[in-house]
Amino acid sequence: MPFQLTDDQLLTRDSVREFAEAEIAPIAAEIDKNHRPPLESIPKLAEMGLLGMIIPEEYGGTGMDTVSYVIAIEELSRVCATHGVLAEAHSSLCTWPIVNYGNAEQKQKYLPDLANGNAIGAFGLTEPNAGSDAGSTSTTAVRDGDEFVLNGQKIFITNGGFAKTFVIIARSTDAPGAKGLSAFIVERDTAGFQVLEPEQKMGIRGSSTTPLAFSDCRIPAANLLGNQGEGFKIAMQILDGGRTGIAAQALGIAQGAFEAACKYAKERVQFGKPLAALQAIQWMIADMAVDIEAGRALVYQAADTEDRHEPHSQASAMAKLFCGEMATRVTGKAIQIHGGVGYTEAYPVERMYRDAKITEIYEGTSEIQRLVISRNYLR
Amino acid sequence: MSTYVLVAGNAGVSELVAAAAKLDGPVVAVVVGADEVVRAVAAPGVDKIVWLGDPGDRAVEAFAADVAKVVAADPGVVFAGRKPAERALLGAVAAAISAPVVTMPVEIAAGQVTRAIAGGIASETRSYAGPVAIVSDGGAPLTGGGSTSVEQAAASPAEVTVTDLRPNEVAAADLGTADRVVSVGRGLKAKEDLAIIEALATAFKAELGCSRPVAEGLDWVARDRYVGISGQQISPQVYLAVGISGQLQHMSGCRGAQLIVSINTDKDAPIVAESDYILTGDLYTLVPALTAALG
Amino acid sequence: MRIVVAYKYAPDPQEATVASDGTLDFSRAKAIVSDYDAVAIEYGRQLADAQGAALVGVSVGGEAAAKPVATKAALARGLDEVVVVSDPELDGAGSTRTAQAIAAVVKELGDVELVLAGDSSMDVGARMVPSVLAGLLGWPMLSDVEKVTLADGSVSVERLVSEGVQSITAAAPAVVSLTSEAVKTKAPGMKDLLAAGKKPVAVKSLADSGLVAVSEGTVTARAKLDGPARKGVVIDTSDPAAAAAELVNALRAAGVLG
Repeated sequence: MPFQLTDDQLLTRDSVREFAEAEIAPIAAEIDKNHRPPLESIPKLAEMGLLGMIIPEEYGGTGMDTVSYVIAIEELSRVCATHGVLAEAHSSLCTWPIVNYGNAEQKQKYLPDLANGNAIGAFGLTEPNAGSDAGSTSTTAVRDGDEFVLNGQKIFITNGGFAKTFVIIARSTDAPGAKGLSAFIVERDTAGFQVLEPEQKMGIRGSSTTPLAFSDCRIPAANLLGNQGEGFKIAMQILDGGRTGIAAQALGIAQGAFEAACKYAKERVQFGKPLAALQAIQWMIADMAVDIEAGRALVYQAADTEDRHEPHSQASAMAKLFCGEMATRVTGKAIQIHGGVGYTEAYPVERMYRDAKITEIYEGTSEIQRLVISRNYLR
Repeated sequence: MSTYVLVAGNAGVSELVAAAAKLDGPVVAVVVGADEVVRAVAAPGVDKIVWLGDPGDRAVEAFAADVAKVVAADPGVVFAGRKPAERALLGAVAAAISAPVVTMPVEIAAGQVTRAIAGGIASETRSYAGPVAIVSDGGAPLTGGGSTSVEQAAASPAEVTVTDLRPNEVAAADLGTADRVVSVGRGLKAKEDLAIIEALATAFKAELGCSRPVAEGLDWVARDRYVGISGQQISPQVYLAVGISGQLQHMSGCRGAQLIVSINTDKDAPIVAESDYILTGDLYTLVPALTAALG
Repeated sequence: MRIVVAYKYAPDPQEATVASDGTLDFSRAKAIVSDYDAVAIEYGRQLADAQGAALVGVSVGGEAAAKPVATKAALARGLDEVVVVSDPELDGAGSTRTAQAIAAVVKELGDVELVLAGDSSMDVGARMVPSVLAGLLGWPMLSDVEKVTLADGSVSVERLVSEGVQSITAAAPAVVSLTSEAVKTKAPGMKDLLAAGKKPVAVKSLADSGLVAVSEGTVTARAKLDGPARKGVVIDTSDPAAAAAELVNALRAAGVLG
């Protein structure tokens, strides 16, 4: 089944690439080195319309299709995985549930600011004792009159350091396990809500990854997203879309490393000829190219399935599993092609290798993806 | 049939006159300029001058239609230099006589021109049945001394008036006429380090050039100084490339140099194969050493 | 009032390769709105907004120039509408032919106060289309312009000449080519892409434009151009001062030290 991008999707790629090369690439190495969140990029991402791609036009977004959206994430990640995940977590994990489960008031209140960059979004699901096992969530939200009172802790929250709008999964009913969970919108400046010190990470070092603490944090009951008890379902649907987004991030990282490797192989001369003339290098380049194209097919397929409003958790799990592992393979080969200098900060491939690893872990580890995929065949 | 050389306010057309003289027919210079320009252009090789007058406060471009009219009366091959006013006059002529335009000529013969294409990596020869309009380097100024007849022609220049000229505070880059160019590439680690390259350029009495990323990606050096397929194409006596790997796109801009010297950490960089003198090593030690040796 | 931007949709020459027989291969080169023409579109947008003028893109080329992906790419940069003269015969057309086709469109449009062009096309870089166009229209040609002001039937520009910054006032209409740095371009945003799909596009054939064909000659030979042979002298750099002295001596002997 051939997949043909539309003109708009092709132009989205061109535009985002032009933007990313002009505005993002120049700071990619520096934010990585300094573990610095690129706050100056947020207005630029907003002006480009990259924070509102999945927000309908009536709320200030551009309401574009999922394929265009994943192309944008891919292109940002091609030059800087930190920017890729900033936009991805904002859109897939926070904006998406408000667009799809928010009521009219919630959409009107939150979406315009999420589209124009006044607010960056984040999503709080993972806890110290509830990682892959989201049903074990222990953060509580207890109804008290017109309010819910939140208590508990979340960890590894992307964009935590600067996000203004959080979608938080918490236990709000006595129902056991997954059935007792609900989703809430929590604003950053709410009393009793604290963003803790960011993690020092191996890769995506400019991305702000923080714990969140809730201590008698009171939010209006109107901030319940969807119905009580729908939290687990919402979280799983968020992750279905998010996985395609992370797969696109992994794809972009791999593409960036591949291009760097090709460039180096053509420029670098050893034994009197460019590396590219050596069969050992040619084979690696061929394997990388096939790996990337296979991953791209899976990512666009998953996004297109979502655009057709068909069940896409299988497709997104496959894309995420394959692309996460593919990105680690491809960036590893890119370093190998560079040889010693590839292991140094003088070239971008070592950063890409470190960035790639997380795509096998967050928004569902490769092992969880395998569980999701195999369950479909073994039930 | 005459062959024309367009003179736009300055007499720097010696190369064009030499090329025109190789073709059949008299060489006619069509001059927009002050009388000293006319006197200079009245040089050996120029058979006739058609003088459209001194532009005074008007821009030379104001006379484009007048120049075109002169050539259109007896169409022939037309030459002009690469400067803005020269291009404007040539464009008007090409429009008036429906002549194709040829740039970057390598060899010109009657009815046939070979030109460089794609920034000089290939050439193409075409034959032409009618006149062509050729843009090429003007060359040194003519200095008179010819038995050239001067015909004054009436002109009705357009309303194009020069109202002000703010001279450059720093001299504009003129890589095209520089004998020596020191060019810097991505081997330079930081903008502050440009100082050592500039010191070398000063000691070497050279203009500063650069590769495209240094001007366009990094913005370290003004864009009119980048050498390459889409930038300056230069032929200095010496081109000293510092920290430049020598991609095809860059080399297209400097291949015409008489001598190429490269300073690069990578002894296998592409530029090495195109260099006369190769210094492999750290530019941060070699450049100051060279500056001192020239001092 | 209309402001026209003449732009080219061209393959990126960075991706061009040349075979040993001199034929160029652009097949791997992706076509885009030529870099410097994007500068002209951006500048034209700002000027048109200030003047309340319509900004019309005019392009000439082969079939690729008229494809929706090509016209949308140009429209997304800020044009209000585009007119493309597209014909297989115009693929790779020279300056004179291209200018003739643009001139025909400009005349037909009417009410054009200014034609803006970029510094040069990225694939050919002849820098002659605006001059020929000005000749065909009988309008003043002003190149290397950094700043344009339109007022009371006149065009005032500041342009970079070798002596400095020259100010010129000419009677409008005029043809102006900008420097590559006249304005900083920015990538079209997602809203620009959406809007581009709703803007008008007119495609004309060579026959529609009623042009007399200019003979662009017959190609009789091609060759790959190689640089001159180089000496390839490797100077030992283990002692930087000695290496520097050796190079200086060599350059002095060659008579190229000023």
